[in-house]
Amino acid sequence: MRRPVFSKRSGICFLTLALLALLLLPGIARGETMKVTQSNQSLYPDPDFAGTPIAPVPVGAEVTVQQQSGDWYKVEYQGKSGWLNRQAFPSPATGSKFSLPGMLFGAPVKETSSDEAALAGKGFTPEVESSYRQKHPEAKFAEVDKVEAYRVDPAKLQAFITEGGLKP
Amino acid sequence: MKSHLRWLALILLVVLPAVWGCAGASAIIPAISIAATGATKAAKASREINDSEEYYVGRAVAARILSQYPLSQNAKVTEYVNEVGQTVARKSARPNTFKGYHFAVLDTTELNAFACPGGTIFITRGLVETCANEDELAAVLAHECSHVANKDGINSISKARWTEVFTAMGAEAARQYGGVAGNLVTLFEGSIDDVFKTMVVNGYSRTAEEAADAGAVTTLTAAGYDPGALAAMLKKMLAKEKGAAGGIYKTHPPTGERLAKLKAEVGKEAAASPAEAKRTKRFEKSAKS
Repeated sequence: MRRPVFSKRSGICFLTLALLALLLLPGIARGETMKVTQSNQSLYPDPDFAGTPIAPVPVGAEVTVQQQSGDWYKVEYQGKSGWLNRQAFPSPATGSKFSLPGMLFGAPVKETSSDEAALAGKGFTPEVESSYRQKHPEAKFAEVDKVEAYRVDPAKLQAFITEGGLKP
Repeated sequence: MKSHLRWLALILLVVLPAVWGCAGASAIIPAISIAATGATKAAKASREINDSEEYYVGRAVAARILSQYPLSQNAKVTEYVNEVGQTVARKSARPNTFKGYHFAVLDTTELNAFACPGGTIFITRGLVETCANEDELAAVLAHECSHVANKDGINSISKARWTEVFTAMGAEAARQYGGVAGNLVTLFEGSIDDVFKTMVVNGYSRTAEEAADAGAVTTLTAAGYDPGALAAMLKKMLAKEKGAAGGIYKTHPPTGERLAKLKAEVGKEAAASPAEAKRTKRFEKSAKS
């Protein structure tokens, strides 16, 4: 008698592997390399802005994620290990909605305006500002954006300090 | 081995759909956990306002100030004030804020300076022109950086209001997907009022001013500026005080006690160094234009 092309055993093996792949593929953040997209970012010794930063992390820097805790990622950058706030990274791509690690341990990074529950838990947020802006069209937020966008070139600042006989 | 594989497949077949089934209800999981967190937070009654929240309050306060005073369009002065400002900010007690320090000049002859929570600092054109040199300008900016470092602005939010914010966080979280957090917006509005009233209308307490003076002296020394420049600036303000009522005289009263304390802290006035002369020269070139 001829053996069927797909035996019972190979079928079970295939099914097992497929299920394992489904479980493990999406949402793995540990060991992932992420690119910093926002300026003025620093590595902190703890997941808290109150600490003294370990080192600045420039835009475009690639960091390796080791761990996540709420809004903070423990990362490795240029041999230094520290915590980077999620504001350093772009919002995650909206691909597969299913992520087992995300479901079990919390989504990695989420910034959706519809997630009211999440924003309410965070206090004063960009969404609260946005509602405030609608109520107060007289407030000059566009001017504030201009002020915040102004940057002093680090090399120019160093030259300014040196020229003035100031302490570097 | 064969039976082990069968068992593993069987377990996965049972467990995975169950877990996957939860994905449909995944919205509930974070909502429950957020609601629980919110409730815990509310139960804790209060925590410190965090740097990100401070930043958003600061932005709104700055937006309100800019609805009263126009921004200076003088690129040269703006650049120079930013250079001096960044030089002192990096030596201040809080060199890093959520989105960094930003400096801007307000186009008014009024004499004043404002430190918005989170690090946006305004100085009026009138005050820049009152400074005799770069060190005095650095002194004013260092004083404002100290207000940011000491969180004087954000601490003006009344405790009762912040506790209410906390309760709102819990309530809103429990409400789940229920439209914009309206109560939080009202509380945000109230917080802006608290900070604005203190910063622009009433001024900080004498203790806060003296602490900011002390911080400025340390910052100026660390940056390499003459720490005596703050006392010199204060002396000038005191001399001009007669007949002046609003502006900086209301928000940063240059009292004799402040000056006396400063003089005691700094000690003898240092002789002008060649570097200081260089700084004065570039001040005249950039700030008096």
